[in-house]
Amino acid sequence: MIDQFLLGLSVVMQPQILMYAFIGVFIGQLIGVLPGIGAITAISLLLPVTFYLDATTSMIILAGIYYGSQYGGSIASILLNLPGTPSSVVTCLEGYPLSQDNRAGLALFVAAFSSFVGGMIGVAILVLAAIPMTLIALRFGAPEYAMLVILGLLAASLIGTGSQLRSFAMVVLGIALGLVGADQTTGYYRFVAMPELADGISLVSLAMGLFGVSEIIRNAANKRPSGPALSIRMRDVIPTRKQARSLVFPILRGSGFGSFFGALPGTGAAIASFMAYAMEKRFSRTPEKFGTGHLPGLAAPESANNAAAQTGFIPTLTLGIPGDAVMALIIGALILNGIIPGPRLMVDQPELFWGVIASFFVGNIILLLINVPLIRLWVLLLRIPYQKLYPVIIVMICVGVYSHRTSVTDVVLTLAFGVLGYLMKNYRFEPAPVLLGFVLGPLLEDNFRRAMLIYRGDFTIFLTRPISAILVTCSVALVVFAIWSSISARRKTVRPPS
Amino acid sequence: MIKNLLVALPLTLALAAPSLAQEFPDRAMRIVHGFGAGGNADTVSRIMGEAISTNLGEPVVVESRPGAGGTVASGYVAGEDPDGYTLQLMVGGHAVAAGLYNELPYDSVNDFTFLSTIGQFPFFVAARAGEYESIDAVIEAALADPGSIVIGHSGVGSTQHLTGELLGLQTGADFIHVPYKGGAAASTALMGGEVNLIIDTGTVISGQAEAGVYDILAVTSADRWPDAPDVPTLNETVAPGFDVVSWTALGAPAGVPDDIVAILSGAISDALAQPDVRERIAALGANPGASTGAELQALVERQIAVWSEVIETAGIERR
Repeated sequence: MIDQFLLGLSVVMQPQILMYAFIGVFIGQLIGVLPGIGAITAISLLLPVTFYLDATTSMIILAGIYYGSQYGGSIASILLNLPGTPSSVVTCLEGYPLSQDNRAGLALFVAAFSSFVGGMIGVAILVLAAIPMTLIALRFGAPEYAMLVILGLLAASLIGTGSQLRSFAMVVLGIALGLVGADQTTGYYRFVAMPELADGISLVSLAMGLFGVSEIIRNAANKRPSGPALSIRMRDVIPTRKQARSLVFPILRGSGFGSFFGALPGTGAAIASFMAYAMEKRFSRTPEKFGTGHLPGLAAPESANNAAAQTGFIPTLTLGIPGDAVMALIIGALILNGIIPGPRLMVDQPELFWGVIASFFVGNIILLLINVPLIRLWVLLLRIPYQKLYPVIIVMICVGVYSHRTSVTDVVLTLAFGVLGYLMKNYRFEPAPVLLGFVLGPLLEDNFRRAMLIYRGDFTIFLTRPISAILVTCSVALVVFAIWSSISARRKTVRPPS
Repeated sequence: MIKNLLVALPLTLALAAPSLAQEFPDRAMRIVHGFGAGGNADTVSRIMGEAISTNLGEPVVVESRPGAGGTVASGYVAGEDPDGYTLQLMVGGHAVAAGLYNELPYDSVNDFTFLSTIGQFPFFVAARAGEYESIDAVIEAALADPGSIVIGHSGVGSTQHLTGELLGLQTGADFIHVPYKGGAAASTALMGGEVNLIIDTGTVISGQAEAGVYDILAVTSADRWPDAPDVPTLNETVAPGFDVVSWTALGAPAGVPDDIVAILSGAISDALAQPDVRERIAALGANPGASTGAELQALVERQIAVWSEVIETAGIERR
């Protein structure tokens, strides 16, 4: 394994290929920072360029855009509350409060470093355990996915900082929004008021509206003349020794979650970062600090989504099966180069296979090296007075959202969600659970109904398949634990120590 | 200055009107398609766009207007000016949509100018290696125990889904059809043992088949496919008369003037004669080949009839 990885490194260390790796992650980083424009748009625009490159170089540059955009995505989330991907929604929860508290530099540093560690751990898993991870991923069928989502929803119902009831209501709202469009099992149209909604509401519209646009409306209403006075001294950017120590385990746990969930084809990265955040909060000794700019709550999901971005390549590389739309594009580039991705890729094209993996290793280092010096620059961005910055951002959001599906409806919806998000904040409803319900609800429905279709309505299937049974057990344990801890908390308040 | 403009303006107008064809194209053209950026349709659009642009000397922009199985894009294109600057990349789903949707805002045949096919491709029936000896064994098993064979497909109303339904209708076998989000997800399910069969394109199946993970049991075209001469057809085995071939093609709004149609068709067939374009289309699993507009229209009409009947008989929910 290590020998082959060294072979891969020797491929990447050729100056020309190194340059392409740099170009890839740099474009990805830039794309990630721009609100609303995702890796998919960038990669599909660059696809024709890869006609003139060989397969390995194409893969390295396109993959670089993908995981580079994960780094970039957290920057807009932290500075402006603008999540570009479902996984960076969680980054907003702690990152944006930090930035408002004049600690944007620190937040960016922690995010970059956690991303780096997460990415590296993901690469290590990719090198050492790609095959076993593949075998586990293949055992995830419809029943397992359905139970995994239930576990995810339960874990994440602990995310909200306000009342449980409010956060539950928001999850339900998210699920309802997720129902819009053609039902996957029958093709029946639900809530399709106009043909543009036949494929459902765009996740980008919802996330940009509820988080970014609503925040802009709120600040405009507050009539704050400009952003906070900012410190960009390097001393304030690097965490203290004590802060650093508190981050070790959150980063490791986040990387673990990310590495595992990333390898499952589907929405691995999003579930991983939500789960990582929920677990940190659940088992934290200071859960009340979450939502106010708590560093472990930033570090864990950041490392999770970057680890997931790397292990997401496991099914792509070992099986030729794309886990999401971006992976499908990357596979498309391989196909256009005359290479049919499949289980034989590793054997037939070792230089490609290991070269690409080694490029992830190098790419993560490049990303860390370009990110840390750029922190000062990003923070300076916040010095631009709001009345000049916000119009630019609104235009960028609209262009970004439009670019996804060339749909004006999506732009209008984004602005409408912005108003909704503003109202929600005024009435103390949180937007994160809405996103969660939106992402996970349809996943639960599709997989549950698929399981019922395949196993002809046999409910026991959820308990007789081993992985599914384990997930059910975890869910039950989580509920029991939650009930138990709330009862014991109540006892404490009822009978104060004498 | 103003005087010059006043002279120039009518002159330009007078020159522009009659000699449209000689000057076509004098600005950027675009290819609209109804699927996600980076999907197969998008890639084919970009390959063709690049070749057409080289040929006609004007840039070609690819525009993705996804939604409702490509019908959002078709509706959009049908309403655009038939000046030859707006083209549409059509796929087999264009014919399926005619039967699947209740109220399309356009007529699938009469609202379009059909230019040329780009490529045609069959679907392959695949199972995990060693699970079935042949396609005959599958049908026997399905007939012996109705509902025991589960077919994973890439989405309700996809051509892959309808092909599976058609196979059931023609052989009398009672399959369970399970929808996944795209062919890759269905393929994962086959690998994991959740479904028994998938019916999909060569790009989804051939990598696994070469690695010995899948057996390809049959091909859906009437005759054996040139790239896979050893694979028996459904036509020669379990379902005589079975012939499903999907396609990609270029069209435009109805009413494009004949001389412009000629220029566009020429550019398309020139593009499809270039070895590198052929290679890329072939890499995507299709047999590249231009056709006349009339041939393409006949193909679309034929498939509308077939799929409408399958949708009707199989009781698939119309939208």
